[in-house]
Amino acid sequence: MRGRNGRNLPVYIGMVVPALSIFLFIVAYPIIYSFWLSLTDFNPNRGGEWNFVGIAQYAKMFNDPNFWHALKNNLIVVGVSVFGQIPLGFGLAYILFRKHVRASGFFQSMLFLPHFLSTIVIGILWKRMFQADGPVSTLLQYLSGDPSAQFTLMLRAETVMYPIGFALIWIYTGLYMVIFLANLQKLDKEMLEAAQIDGASEFQIFMRVVVPALSGTILVSSILAIAGSLRGFDLIYSITTQGLQRNNAMVLPIFMYQTAFQDFNNDSRFAYGAAISNAIILISVSLIIISNIIGKRLKAGEEN
Amino acid sequence: MRANPAAAARLKRLPGSIASYTIFIAWTLITLVPLLWMGYSSFKSNEELTLDIYALPKALFDNRNDEYVVIPKTLNVILPYDPELDTRERLIIESTTIAPTRRMMVHFLVKDDLPAELAGLQPGDKLLVSQLPRAMQKDINRRTIWFNYSSAWNRGNLGSKFLNSILYAGVSTTLIVLLGLMMGFALGKMGYKKISLILAGLIGFGYLISNNSVIIPLFLLLSKLKLTDTHLGMILVYTAFGLPLSVMLSAQFIRGLPDSLIESAFMDGAGYFRMFFSIIMPMSVPVVTTVAIISALGIWNEFLLVLVLATSELTKSLPVGVFSFSSLQSTQLGWQLAALVIAVVPVMLVYFIFNKRLTQGVVAGAVKG
Repeated sequence: MRGRNGRNLPVYIGMVVPALSIFLFIVAYPIIYSFWLSLTDFNPNRGGEWNFVGIAQYAKMFNDPNFWHALKNNLIVVGVSVFGQIPLGFGLAYILFRKHVRASGFFQSMLFLPHFLSTIVIGILWKRMFQADGPVSTLLQYLSGDPSAQFTLMLRAETVMYPIGFALIWIYTGLYMVIFLANLQKLDKEMLEAAQIDGASEFQIFMRVVVPALSGTILVSSILAIAGSLRGFDLIYSITTQGLQRNNAMVLPIFMYQTAFQDFNNDSRFAYGAAISNAIILISVSLIIISNIIGKRLKAGEEN
Repeated sequence: MRANPAAAARLKRLPGSIASYTIFIAWTLITLVPLLWMGYSSFKSNEELTLDIYALPKALFDNRNDEYVVIPKTLNVILPYDPELDTRERLIIESTTIAPTRRMMVHFLVKDDLPAELAGLQPGDKLLVSQLPRAMQKDINRRTIWFNYSSAWNRGNLGSKFLNSILYAGVSTTLIVLLGLMMGFALGKMGYKKISLILAGLIGFGYLISNNSVIIPLFLLLSKLKLTDTHLGMILVYTAFGLPLSVMLSAQFIRGLPDSLIESAFMDGAGYFRMFFSIIMPMSVPVVTTVAIISALGIWNEFLLVLVLATSELTKSLPVGVFSFSSLQSTQLGWQLAALVIAVVPVMLVYFIFNKRLTQGVVAGAVKG
């Protein structure tokens, strides 16, 4: 019935194959397909005729101002996540951890709520909130006493990323707060008490004891934030209106989507779109590697 | 000072406490106010929403004395019954206050049930709701309050999309958990260390790939197989992208189970099949819960895949339905808000009922993944 150490090849294969075959077929094969596609001029308007064109699609991408515009916005989103959501989430978690507020369970569940809701719904809701005649404009009118005051940040190309950054913080800060809180609770309580007895201030304890102890969590959260922000599509797609506004707030996944699935006259839409997708993966892998290196440097610096 | 160090310490902490409470209460309000606004505004008429965007709903609730006008049976009046099967004569009335003249707030009253003086009214004549028989008043009252919701549900075709969302989340999550646990068991407890390591690495790499990074080849692949715009295609894709997390967490968990457990099961003469279902599965409940929560929520809220792969109304899920309904320029604002509420309420219910488990599950998945 069974071999050494519970070995049994037919059973092993039977257990592995269902999951593995679905995975290989739907995830692994398309990755290779995508790589191949980006090196051709695959033409869906001519029944899929194709020639090998080398890195021509990537060269086109580097010369496309839309790509750089989308990349810039995408890096803003990454920045908001790494330097906005994570520090804020950490700070909030620390307040709860040090028991400065009661009812921490209540606050925790309130702040974490947006993470569970459909990003599309949140995008549409904030689009409504930010509209020229929406609740935020009305609030501005009450506060300023000027009946013609309007919230116009969504309307201008230079400022459209501000309200979007706000919405991103609104959605995701709770997630990082919960992650940090869970890891704070694993900290050695005696270490903190010892620091307190030694006369360290709250701020000193935070900077010298807590932050170094959680550097691993900070790194993991940053990786999570970078990967998530680069592939994020839903919020910006739904908070903007198709056309000028969406183009102003364009990020790489939306650029890819519009290229591949809305630009039907573009003969190389799938090949070019695949090049953009691959660029997103490359950028996110390299940012993750960079943050790993920075994380290790910081750790090594502390030990010296 | 020395007499009461505890009180002194508390005093020292006071400014910090005040600041902390301020931050948390403000953040909670910023989180809740938009959601509450969405909730109560979904019961406001369009006219109310344009008049004062913050006022509480009134017009749809306070409808006892609403005025209606009798309208002729023109082409732009959509009959809620089949006139060939149901030949009873009806008086068609339209509200003069809620979306007037737009044929949205319309009732069809069976003339036989009306008192003679009302049944004889001609197009253009006006009447009040309070003049009608009790049963009709009640019916109109209820339909007026839920006007935004029934309009969103019917015109946005949200019913079938709701069912699709449940189907995708339910079936895919079941497959993700079951297949992931099977593979996790093989990788974690069945030996073949080298193959298992390679397979785990392969699957782990998949965790870095989200479905929108391969959406183009996926679209081409599924179109070739005629699987786009089918329930099967969607379920396959959702299952595939949920598997990496499931396999990794399951393998890690099952590896940690004591070997003696499996040994003793073999002693009792159990086969692999029985052991998997009667020992491994029940013991893996914590990891199964985590995986199921993350997968089901992710699929319920997923948008881009359905946007690209589902072209017909038959296979669309709730987020896409709500999005396309809410971006229609012609749609009334109140209806759009009602559609958003419909999409959000199930998740909120689940969230507040299983709060602790959900929070733990997401943290476990996020950190280990």
